[in-house]
Amino acid sequence: MTVSNRQPDQPKMFDTVLIANRGEIALRVVRTCKEMGIRSVVVYSTSDRDSLAVLAADEAVHIGPGPAKQSYLYPPAIIEAAVRTGAQAIHPGYGFLSEDSDFAEICANNGIVFVGPRPTVMSQLGDKTIARKLVAEAGLPVLAGTSSPVLSVGELVTEANQVGLPLIIKAAAGGGGRGMSVVREWADLLPTYRTTRATAQAVFGDGRVYLERYFEQSRHIEVQVLADELGNVLYLGERDCSVQRRHQKLIEESPAANLAPGVSERLGELAVRAAREVGYTGAGTFEFLVRDEEVAFIEVNSRIQVEHPVTEAVVGIDLVREQLRAAAGMPLSVSQSEVRTVGAAIECRVNAENPAKDFAPCPGRLDEFVPPGGPFVRVDTHAYAGWKVPAEYDSLLAKVIAWGSDRNQALDRMDRALAEFRIAGPGMHTTIPLLREVIADKTFRAAEHTTSFLDTRHDEE
Amino acid sequence: MTELDLRTIDNGQIGSPPGADAEIALAQLCGSLSAVLEAAATPPSRISLRCGAASVEVEWPVAGVAGVQALAAPAAPLAAPAPAAPDTRHAVTAPLVGTFYRAGEPGARPFVEVGDVIQAGQQIAIVEAMKLMNAVESDQAGRVAEILVADAESVEYAQPLILLEPLDGDR
Repeated sequence: MTVSNRQPDQPKMFDTVLIANRGEIALRVVRTCKEMGIRSVVVYSTSDRDSLAVLAADEAVHIGPGPAKQSYLYPPAIIEAAVRTGAQAIHPGYGFLSEDSDFAEICANNGIVFVGPRPTVMSQLGDKTIARKLVAEAGLPVLAGTSSPVLSVGELVTEANQVGLPLIIKAAAGGGGRGMSVVREWADLLPTYRTTRATAQAVFGDGRVYLERYFEQSRHIEVQVLADELGNVLYLGERDCSVQRRHQKLIEESPAANLAPGVSERLGELAVRAAREVGYTGAGTFEFLVRDEEVAFIEVNSRIQVEHPVTEAVVGIDLVREQLRAAAGMPLSVSQSEVRTVGAAIECRVNAENPAKDFAPCPGRLDEFVPPGGPFVRVDTHAYAGWKVPAEYDSLLAKVIAWGSDRNQALDRMDRALAEFRIAGPGMHTTIPLLREVIADKTFRAAEHTTSFLDTRHDEE
Repeated sequence: MTELDLRTIDNGQIGSPPGADAEIALAQLCGSLSAVLEAAATPPSRISLRCGAASVEVEWPVAGVAGVQALAAPAAPLAAPAPAAPDTRHAVTAPLVGTFYRAGEPGARPFVEVGDVIQAGQQIAIVEAMKLMNAVESDQAGRVAEILVADAESVEYAQPLILLEPLDGDR
């Protein structure tokens, strides 16, 4: 075969990419597009008209009013915007339509590449019970649990007896730490089942739930995977996301400190094996619970994650760039042997939330907003002084990422950066004081914390 | 008559309905009125509601109308200073992203032309999104002063499509 014969088949990078998201992640994707010479288009709702992503993009399309259901969650408006701006691909970011296999299919039907795994793969992984079954077939350890959603109270009692206490009731369509509750006493089983079903129906439009054994005193460790259409699958180390408040991640780091010997490599191999088995493509995260040498798969996030910058900081690879390459049918730009983890990185999520009001979001005007800087500090934010934090969306204001040659240096640097951060406005509160408390905490410093660290610590106060 | 014909009330054609009928008619009028107020971006300056001849009159503050227009035009923010004489024209905006069509099909008569007097709720255009034809209805009555978008041009959400001049009776 001559080279000229292959020329027409060579995959080409997109000229124009539409970003179907908002906030810091929309700006994040625009930045990589600029670096790659790709024209970027963002869509925005009326509430985000003055956002930094709108200013930074080459083109912006107003797709609807503030409520996400009529804008960021409304496929017809997004597809129309892509068609009219000539976008060949849509990057969905995280949240919103990022794990919606129907949307991915609509994109394909309109001749637009969805930046993510194939719709069939995504839909299988999106149903947590199917995902569990698939990875168990691939030989991964999973926690005892139901292999299909629990459909009746009778089934619930039978299955719960099999699984044993403590157990966790999870929404089959859940994500982002919502729609899950732990049951420790038999008396709580039925009421918790009912409230979790109701929450799942309200939040995800799907009331199906399943049971899983709850792993107490464990750590939440996730593996970053990259895969292309040519069959290359690799992992970029792990992230520890054990610092959570009610299943919401607050602090993430890479590598995971204080893991038992061999666990990191083992998780990487398991994630790659599972990704190959399900035919995963693009960037994805395989989540595990880890207790000493015991590991158990919990779920897959088939999208870029909020905490992806900690991986970028330690491996020096732009994950969004690799996502776009994979979506365009190009090979990943690195091989497994070229992936090297250097130093340690930590990310803190600065949310507009009021600790005195049970961390209720506090939208409103930012009179002052001066992010930190200095050596090895990265701030991903869409906010600026004078901007109004809209009430319609999540409360994330900024992600602060600090790198250090080791974990302690990264933590000291993070504390310095958080102390520099100046945010003020009428009624404005942030998670910064809480984040600094955690960084100073002895248990956290010693990397002896588990997923219950923040909730128990908070209860004790 | 024992049963009230709701269509006649909708048309505002009822004479002097006695008793329960009058109450239903009044409730109907209040319902329509609240729908009008919900659709409006600014509160009215005066409302008059009569039940006998079934009439509703709503007066809007002139400055408010200009305010609505400024809100509805994202492409031209803050830059232009407010004109000395307040613009009383009202912009009917696109309800979604798509392609703007002035007529029901190619070559057909446009829904509206400059100079036409239109009613609130009257169709003024189509916006096509993903092969679905979405009727665009005017949220106010008025005289068409200007058509801002050419046929088959793409429009964004909230983009002004036509400008309406208030009818003399509304001033």
